[in-house]
Formats: sequence, C-alpha cells, structure tokens
Amino acid sequence: MAEIVRKSSVDEILNHWILAGSCILLMITGFAFLFHMEAVASVFGGFNTMKEVHNWGGVVFTLSMLYSMRHYLKDAFEYDADDAQWFKVAGGYLSHKVKVPPMGKYNPGQKLYYLAVVGAGIAIALSGFAIWFMKDNGTIMLLAHLVHNVAFCIFVLAVPVHIYLGTLANPGTFKLMVSGTLPLEEAKRRYPKWMKAAGKM
Amino acid sequence: MANETKNRKGMMVTPELCIGCRACQVACKSWNQLPGTKTTNNGTYQNPPDLNSTAFNLIRYNEVPGQENPVRWLFVSRRCMHCEEAGCMTICPTGAIYRTADGAVAVNRDKCIGCKLCTNACPFDVPRYDAENKMTKCHQCSDRTAAGMLPACVKTCPTGALKYGDRDEMIKTAKSDGFKTIYGEQDLSGLGTVYAFKDEPKLYGMKENPTIPGSVVFWHTYLKPLSFIGLGGVVAAAAIHYLAIGPHKEKEEV
Amino acid sequence: MTNHWIDLKNADVILAMGSNPASNHPISMKWIMRAREKGAKLICVDPRFTQTAAKADLYAPLRSGTDIAFLGGMINYILEKDLYFKDYVVNYTNASFLVNPDYKGPADLDGLFSGYNAEKRNYDKKTWSFQLDENGIALKDPTLQNPNCVFQLLKKHYSRYNVDKVVDITGTPKDKLLAVYELFGSTGKPDRAGTECYAMGWTQHTVGTQNIRTMTIIQQLLGNMGIAGGGINAMRGEANVQGSTDYGLLFHILPGYNPTPNASLVDLATYNEKNTPKTKEPRSVNWWSNRPKYIASYLKAVYGTAATKENDFGYSWLPKIDVGQNASWLMIFDKMLKGDFEGFFAWGQNPACSGANSNKTRQAMTKLKWLVNVNLFDNETGSFWRGPGMNPKEIQTEVFMLPCCSSMEKQGSIANSGRWAQWRYKAVEPIGQSMPDAEIINELFFKVKELYKKEGGAYPDPIVNLAWEYGEKDAAGKVKHVDVHAIAKEINGYWLEDVYDNKVSPPKLIGKKGDLVTSFPSLQADGTTSCGNWIYCNSYILKDGKEVNMMARRGKDDPTGLGLYAGWAWAWPVNRRIIYNRASVDLQGQPLDPKRPLVKWDAGKKAWIGDVPDGPAPPMGTDGKFPFIMKPDGVASIFGPGLAEGPFPEHYEALECPVEANAMSKQRVNPTIKIFGDKMDAFASCDARYPFVGTTYRVSEHWQTGCMTRHCSWLLEMQPQNFVEMSLELAKDLKVGNGETVIVSSARGEVKAVAVVSERFKPFKIASSTVHQVGLPWHFGWQFPEDGSGYDSANLLTPNVGDANTMIPESKAFMVNVRKA
Ligand code: HEM
Ligand code: SF4
Ligand code: SF4
Ligand code: SF4
Ligand code: SF4
Repeated sequence: MAEIVRKSSVDEILNHWILAGSCILLMITGFAFLFHMEAVASVFGGFNTMKEVHNWGGVVFTLSMLYSMRHYLKDAFEYDADDAQWFKVAGGYLSHKVKVPPMGKYNPGQKLYYLAVVGAGIAIALSGFAIWFMKDNGTIMLLAHLVHNVAFCIFVLAVPVHIYLGTLANPGTFKLMVSGTLPLEEAKRRYPKWMKAAGKM
Repeated sequence: MANETKNRKGMMVTPELCIGCRACQVACKSWNQLPGTKTTNNGTYQNPPDLNSTAFNLIRYNEVPGQENPVRWLFVSRRCMHCEEAGCMTICPTGAIYRTADGAVAVNRDKCIGCKLCTNACPFDVPRYDAENKMTKCHQCSDRTAAGMLPACVKTCPTGALKYGDRDEMIKTAKSDGFKTIYGEQDLSGLGTVYAFKDEPKLYGMKENPTIPGSVVFWHTYLKPLSFIGLGGVVAAAAIHYLAIGPHKEKEEV
Repeated sequence: MTNHWIDLKNADVILAMGSNPASNHPISMKWIMRAREKGAKLICVDPRFTQTAAKADLYAPLRSGTDIAFLGGMINYILEKDLYFKDYVVNYTNASFLVNPDYKGPADLDGLFSGYNAEKRNYDKKTWSFQLDENGIALKDPTLQNPNCVFQLLKKHYSRYNVDKVVDITGTPKDKLLAVYELFGSTGKPDRAGTECYAMGWTQHTVGTQNIRTMTIIQQLLGNMGIAGGGINAMRGEANVQGSTDYGLLFHILPGYNPTPNASLVDLATYNEKNTPKTKEPRSVNWWSNRPKYIASYLKAVYGTAATKENDFGYSWLPKIDVGQNASWLMIFDKMLKGDFEGFFAWGQNPACSGANSNKTRQAMTKLKWLVNVNLFDNETGSFWRGPGMNPKEIQTEVFMLPCCSSMEKQGSIANSGRWAQWRYKAVEPIGQSMPDAEIINELFFKVKELYKKEGGAYPDPIVNLAWEYGEKDAAGKVKHVDVHAIAKEINGYWLEDVYDNKVSPPKLIGKKGDLVTSFPSLQADGTTSCGNWIYCNSYILKDGKEVNMMARRGKDDPTGLGLYAGWAWAWPVNRRIIYNRASVDLQGQPLDPKRPLVKWDAGKKAWIGDVPDGPAPPMGTDGKFPFIMKPDGVASIFGPGLAEGPFPEHYEALECPVEANAMSKQRVNPTIKIFGDKMDAFASCDARYPFVGTTYRVSEHWQTGCMTRHCSWLLEMQPQNFVEMSLELAKDLKVGNGETVIVSSARGEVKAVAVVSERFKPFKIASSTVHQVGLPWHFGWQFPEDGSGYDSANLLTPNVGDANTMIPESKAFMVNVRKA
C-alpha cells in the first residue's frame, strides 16, 4: 500500500468547509437581497427569516474566518522566487505547455486568494455588523452599506474562481479537501518544496 | 427612470392655503389606526416634533421674519414625497418598498426586515420604524385611493391646502393660479408630493436640491450591476477556460 | 350669525376681530380662503399674531380690551371720509331719527350718558329716546343735518375717537390702524361687501355687548347688513351652541327668544302687555307684535291639555325670576359659595375649569350637598373634592356621575352658527352605561313626577302638568324611550283644533286638528295651536299628506351661486339663509349689488325671488314695509337705547387694566358693571404685582376645558400642556427661555404653563409706556392627563366680573405676572 501524507488536519478541513459553507450561504442570501429574489427568500421562509440566516451566517463566517488565520495566515505572507516565476507562467493555467516552478504547500494564487478573502471578509464582516447593529448612525450605515457591497463584489469575483480551480480545473483537489490526505507520490509531484521541507524528498 | 408611471397621481401641498388646523394629522392617525404618543410642549405648536412611526404627516410651524409684520408664520405639511427616484426603494434589500399603480411609494410590512437602510437613502428623512422595526411612512393612502377614495388627510383638509389628483394637471392648475415655484416638479425625476409656492421654497424650510446619497447612487449604478455581471463573467471565464484550455493534466507535467 | 358659514365666500373684505377663525373655526376659514382666492382681503385684528393673522392680507395688533376705541376710530374715519352708504343709512337705519333734546353723551358728561345713577350703577334711560310726532311716530330729518338727529349725535360722539387718541389707547401702529380703516371703509360702496367675524374675543369683556354694537354701527353705515357677503357673524364654536341659545339656554330667555317671565308679570295678559313691542309706524312690520301667539303656542306645547284658556295656558306654572334678578353663571356660583344651593346639575359642562376665577367655582361646589355630573368623562368638576388644595375629608358634597353619550351615539338635530338645523343620525351605539341626554332627562322626569305625585311637595303643578308625549309608554305611564322625532314635531307645532279663516265666507279651513303647522304666521294666540319654539316652526311639516323632516333634507342645488343651498337642511326662520335680506335691495326692490343679488322684487308677479325674504310685503319704495322686521321701527338701530351702558358704545378700560386712566374720559371702567366684593373676587388694576395684560383663548386641537379632547391622545399629542405665549422682549426681561415652565399668577390664583416665546407677541406702545401682553389657552385641568403634566386651567387666573348686559366674564383682558417655575 502506497504511503499516504496528510496535508490538512481535520480541524483545518472542518474550518474550511464551515467557512466555505457560510460564505456560499451568505452569498446566496446576499444575492437574494440585492436583487429582491422572492424565490430564494421563500426557500428560507421569507425575507425576515432569510435576514436572520444571513446575519447569523455572518457570525459563523466571521468566526471561522478568524479561526482560519491560524492555519493559513503565516503561509499566505511568505513568497519566494518560485512564486514570482509562478506568476510569470500564470500558474500554468493559460497553457499546459509551460514549465510551472516547484511549489510549496500553497501556490501564490491560493495565498493571494486567501488574503483577499481575509481582507474582504473583514471588511464585509465589519460593515455587515455595522449595518446590523448601528442602524441609528446614518453616516456609518451608508459607509457600511458601500463597503459591504464593494467587498461583496470581491467575493463574487474571487469565490467562483476558487471553486472552479478547486474542482473542475484541478481534478483531485476536491477529494483532497475532503479527506485531507493524498498519496505521497502525488504530494511529491504537486508540493515538492513542502515535501522537501518535510524531509520526505 | 424619469416619469415611469403614466397618469401619475400625486399630492399637491399649498402652504399658502394651510391654516395650521392639523385636521390632516388627526385624519391620518384615524384612518391608519395609529396611536397618539406622549409629548411635551417644546415652545412651539409643532408636535410631535418630527415624523415618527405613528405620525406619517405633520405640520411644521415655521416662523420667519416678515416685511409687513414682525413675523411670518408658515404652515407646511411634512410627509413622504413619493419620489419618482426613491432612495428608499432603491436601497431596500427586500423589495419591501414598492410603487403602487398610482405612483405612490408604499411599504409591504411583511417583507420589511427592519434593516433601516431606507432611512439613510431617503433625501427627506422620512422612513420611521415601529415597535417591530418595520418601516412606516405615508403611503398616500394607497388603500383608500385604490377604492376610489381621497387620501384621509386630503379629504379632511378644509382649505384645499392638500389636494390629490392627476399630478400634471394639478401642477398646471397651480401654475395658472400664480404659484411660480412648484417644488418637486423635477427633483428626483419628479416628486409625487409637490408643493406650490409663491416665494422661495427655502423660506418654508424645504430642502434645496434633494438628492439620494452619492454612495447609494454609486452602488446602484455600478456595484449592483458589477456583482451580477461579475459573477456571470467569472463563471463564463471558467467555462471558457475549461473548454479551451482544460483542466490540469498531471501526466503532461511528468 | 346674521349670515352663514358659506356666505363668507361672498365677501370682499373680511374682518376677523375678536375671533381667530383659522384656529377655532377652521370651516369658516375654508370659506374665507375661498373668498381670498377670488381676491377678497382678510383683515386680522388681534393682540397676538394668530394663525388667522398668518393668513391675513392685513394684520393689526391691539391691546386686549380696546376694541371700542379701535372701532370708534373707524366710525369716525368713515364719517370724516364720507365712506358711508348714504341711501342705506337714510332709508334703512335710524340715522335720521331725532333724539330727545335732553339726551347727553360722554362728550358732554365726561364718559357718562344722561341719566346715570352712581349708587345703583345704572341708567335711567328716559332721555335715550326719540322725538315723536302727534301720531307717536319718530320725527326724522332725511337730510341728516339736524343737530339732534342720530347721525349728528353719532358724529359728535365719535369725533373724539381721532386716530392719535386711538393709537394711544390700543397700541396699534398708526399705519396699520389707518390701513384697516381704509380697507374696511371701502365696503361702503353698494357693490362691495364687508363682513365681520367675532367670537369670544369680543364678548368676554366688561364691554362685550358694546364691542359688537360698535361693529353693527359700522356695518349699518357701510350698508353691509342684510347682504350677501356682509353681516355680523358670531362664530359659534360648538356645533350646536346656536341651538342651545335658540332653546333658552340663558336664564333671561325662553325658547325662541321670548323673555323669561318675572314675578311682576302676574298673568299672561300682563306678560304680553309688557313684552310686546308696539309701534305707531304703519310701515313697520314689528314682528314681535306676534309675541302673544308664540307664547300661547309655547305654553300649549309645554303643558298640553292641562293648558287651558281659563288657566292662562299654564302661564303661572312657568318659573319666574325676581324683578331685576340676574340669574347668570357668575351669580349662581356667587350664591353657591354663600351656601344658597343644595344641589347642582353640571350637565355637559366643567365649571371647575371653565368658570372665570375657577378657584371660586371650585370652592363654591364644596358648599353643595350634592352634585350631579352629566358628562362623557369624569372631569375636574365631578372630582373637585380631590382636586388641588382640597381636603376630601372636609367636603360633604355627594357627587353622582351620569355618563351621557356623545353626539355620534344618538340621533337628532343640531343648529349651527348659520342657523341651519341639520338632522344627524346615530353612527355608533352608546358605550357602556351611557345614555343620550334626552333619555337621562326622561328617567329623571318620571322619577321626579312620581315623587311629586306620591309626596306632594311645595309646588307639584309645573311638573305633574308637563305634557310628555315622547314615545310609547309602559303600564305605569312612563315613556320607555324618547322618540326624538316626537320632540322635533312638538317643536314645530300642531293644529290642536280645526281652525277656520272666518274673514272669508264661507269660512275656509286653514288648519286641521292633529296636523303639523306649516309655519309661524299660522300660530294662534287662543290655544288652538302648539309650538315648542316658534322660530323652528316650519322645520317639520306636512307635505302632500306626509310628515317631512325639513332638517334632514340634503339638496345640493345652489341656483343663485351665493351658496344659500336652500334645499340643504333647514334654516330658521322659515328657511331664510340671510336675515334682513330685504336691506340688500333699493327702494324698488332691485339688488343694490347686482353682482350678488340676494333677493329681487318681481314687480310683474308681485313676488320676491331669491332667498326667502324677510316677509312677503312689497319693497319700501312702493307701498311696502321696512326691512328690519324684528325692530319696532322697522329700521336698524344706529342709536340703540336697549343696552345698559348707553345708546352709543363708549370706550372703557377692562376692570383690570394696565393704565391709570381712561384716555377717553374720567370714567375708567364700564360704569354699569356689577363688581363682586368678597375676598374671593379680588382684582388688581395698575398693580405692580401684576404688570402684564393677560388673555385666554383656544387652540384648534382642544375644545373648551378639554374634557372631551384631552382624553383623545391624538389631540393631546399635538397640544399636550398648558402654555403661555409671550414676546421675546418680555421673555428676555424675565430671563425665561422658550419651552421653560413658568408660573402665571393673577390676583385670584396661579397656574403653571410652558413659555412659548415668539415674535408673534409684541409689546404695545400705550401713550408713552410699554405694555406687555401674554396669553394662555384654557383647555387644561389637573385631572387629566393623570400625571398632571397638562397643568391646570387658565381660568384660575380670570376675573369673575361680567359684561353689564350679559354677565359674560371678562376672560379676555385681565392682569397677570409671570415668574420662573
Ligand atoms: C460577515 C458577516 C456579515 C454580516 C454581519 C452581514 C450583514 C448584513 C446585513 C445586516 C445586511 C442587510 C440586510 C440584512 O440585514 O440582512 C447584509 C446585506 C447583504 N450582505 Fe451581508 N453580512 C455579512 C457577510 C456577508 C457576506 C460574506 C456576503 C457575501 C459574500 C454578504 C453579502 C451581502 C449582500 C449582497 C447584501 C445585500 C446588500 C444590499 O442589498 O444592500 N454579506 N449583510
Ligand atoms: S421621500 Fe424618502 S421615503 Fe418617501 S419616497 Fe422619497 S425616498 Fe422614499
Ligand atoms: S427597513 Fe424595511 S423597508 Fe427599509 S430598507 Fe430595510 S427592508 Fe426595506
Ligand atoms: S396620504 Fe394617507 S397615509 Fe399619507 S399622510 Fe395622508 S392620511 Fe396619512
Ligand atoms: S388640514 Fe389642511 S389646512 Fe389644516 S393643517 Fe392640514 S394641510 Fe393645513
């Protein structure tokens, strides 16, 4: 039997999926608000309950996002020459012919994506809470409303890309994100620098 | 967006005819079954001091210096303007605020989630919230007008300071009656509550150049479409990528 | 009102003085605004810049209590500038009449008229009379030149009211004063109509009646009486206060303005003899000569079959007042305080807050054995024993509360200010145990009658003989429920016998027994007709064999365009919409103002067209009658000897006033007023402790003492608290800020109020000094709102001194102080 390596702990996996789930939920409900989608609202039992779902979903999202920092934040700030080269070849996504430099546990695209999620996430969370709780301050309300929606745009652009890359574009990634483990051989191929650092290569 | 509603009905307020009797305030409460609230005299006849969740209209008593006399006392009805470009309606995240067939801006209580965004998008500070945090305001008596009746406040007004009818026609009549300024004729693509003045509307405490807050306009014109087009664009890009370039193929890399 | 609400739209100039129609009579303001839209001018004269002032084309302030000076100046102006309507004055007024040469006026007697008795504080009116010819008809000088004619005497009297003098008294800026005179004076032309709207701002003064008299003189000079858009219009605030006056609310009149009998009028013949005016003038209709018919028919309505020719139709059962007795409000409470009453029905009123000098009223009630409070709500009267300053343990008065229902909860008629009797229907069922007033009276009546029958008592006849056929009776003979239609029909009157016109042969049947009478000319003095109130005769008639309630009519036709709406409800008398309307035509019966033809004589048909004319007689210039049919002389009285103070109004200061002397004469206050002298009746004139003029008024949101309106949270929300309005200047002197609570005090009491400081009150320049005035509404009371946040009644401040004719208290001009609370 081939040796298996663990890439993500159970904790990490749970965290990821709670974050992702709440985010999707918030996006769907957010969209439904933005475009007054009665049909979507009725799935949640009307706008009033959907509001509750959205608000409390926001709490879950915020907490899991903060928690996720413990897993990813350090990595997300570390970049090397290979990462620069990665950008030059656009991660190999625009052509399968180019040579993609060896990567660590996360490629810089993922790291930047994470930073975007954290940045926009903090913004959307802060503004969301402001809209929720600071109703009587007009200036804050209007600002928060704007920020919430700007951040939403970032999510709207970033999240589908992430999902695509994590599923169709990179077969096997989804499985990895469920189990947290992958065969050593595969790990060596995909995350050589991580494996080296781990002494497996 | 301008003049979307055909044969738009509207409210014509003529402060020059208003005698400050406040029958309109009472009629509104009576029709809408709103309670009276505990107030104090604050050194003015104006009471309650401003609109609240149980006061959809009120008479402002403005004292301004006069020429003939030491003072002029102006009575102006304050209420929802039923804007053609209604900030409240634009920002409402649930569509609870809607436009009636007659062109009034009304609220569907059931849909309102009490987020209070509307109050900030309203150029006239009109929306108020009841005990259940539902938005309340003048609905131009849409329940009465739908049944062919006049709004309660209009019906009771003894002097014709409040009128309800075809908006264009009322404006025409007011102009031919010598009211030079029709406040709200063009503002926000035309208010549904217009005011006929012979003097400067400013004198009567009317807001000059009412506008919807810039951030709301920006959000409405750019961000909202962007989030929609953006989503579509990203999904489309992914689809094209998948078809044109295809997913990562492990083998090739070896 | 001589005219009616809608008629205000026909005016060219509207003078709102002594009233604030925008606040207190908003519906009148509707028609005033209509008039303005057509170009009419609204003048507002008021101490305070009111809501009416805010709408006026011309506003002039005046110090409270100086209306006669203001209007006297206007008379002088009209005469000096020849603005009066000469033909009208000569033909339709007593201007040309020659007055007794012994008559002397204030110009000769320093503020008094001839015949004054200082001890009795009244006048012997002997010299206030006309010179008569050998036929007993007044001598006249149609050229108006005779120095003893009314016109010349008027001129002499008011020449003293020159503009500078008036300005010194009223504090009105001179330019404003002249502008008012000029504008209102412009209605002396035949094609211009000027009207006057007054309310309590004129009546509630020691010279109240004379305030109004002064205006009637102006309206006569300008030819504004009896025309569309003219008249003198008492704005009655309560929907049915006209009705209550018509039905003898006041102590000195019976229903239909027949005098209350006094002890000296021992029988009906004497009563008729004393109270039926006579004239030798053949062309005067002298309508009151019909008095005996109205009284006999009234007695028949009251006592029914018990009233016979033999017993003077029960005249002796009518309650009588003593000769010279004044039984008005102030007297009642004065007597009550002295312990002269055992019990008191406070029916639909709240004297603890409405009575001038309410402290006295409240104290007076402590002297009662019992008090019955009939009202919608308990109020400061029913609860007086637990009010401020009262010790319930010491008060023995037993109080009963009888809840009555509101006007929406019953059917019946109301008579509005324009004399329109309108039938109203019940909208909702009475709440709880409340009953319509008529039902309460019905219950009381049968109980009292039963007791009289059982126990006898001092004088049971007036009660046991009352006719009470108001509905189905039970086995014991008690009316189960009052049928208001039965009452309305009794008021209109019935033929009690078959009555024939014996002047034609064969005699023609003019009235069939049991039928409703058609109108008052049919009423008889011999007991063959009944009529509860002659002026309402014709309100419920027989038409094509069917009984028709004229008051319930809802016709909306207005063929004249003048807003008469003759088919809407019914107006007394005989559906006449504007009284004295025959003064609107020239001697040939053609409208003086062709733009507003009210009535018109059709010489061909020998009939009047338009409004119901004041009598069918042809116009004066043909062989007709004079237009002022209620006046013995048939003309309007510029010289009016009927009132207590004199035939021409003269300016006197209020009992409490800020000036040491009356600028017009040595006579500072009205020489004929009754001054109560006890310690509870204190007053303070020119007293440094009470330096500011005070006045009271009403706001739109509340009604009278607020008993009905304070309980309505919608209204209370708009006017939640007693307030006192004052100028910025006074507030600065007192260091009082807008919205701060202050205490207003007078010689009689004090009350808390929120200071409303604004430019709407301005200090007055009176001669060389500055006079400040403040004003308070009188809608509040300690009992509700229950937390006392509304404060108490402004009537704690007002003086209990009355007009010399009506005894209406002087609550519009008194002296107060204001201090920080
Ligand atoms: C993180 C915590 C969040 C909180 C506390 C929050 C709160 C809110 C609130 C209060 C509203 C106004 C309507 C309502 O009351 O429901 C709102 C609207 C909305 N939210 Fe959130 N939200 C959060 C996160 C998100 C996320 C992650 C997204 C999507 C990525 C999102 C998208 C939206 C959108 C699109 C709207 C409608 C905006 C509009 O129509 O103006 N929200 N959010
Ligand atoms: S006035 Fe305010 S509440 Fe009324 S329609 Fe306009 S934006 Fe909406
Ligand atoms: S408070 Fe109600 S009406 Fe106002 S924006 Fe929110 S959902 Fe719409
Ligand atoms: S239109 Fe109706 S809801 Fe609006 S203020 Fe008038 S009475 Fe109130
Ligand atoms: S009812 Fe008419 S006149 Fe009276 S306060 Fe209202 S708008 Fe003015």
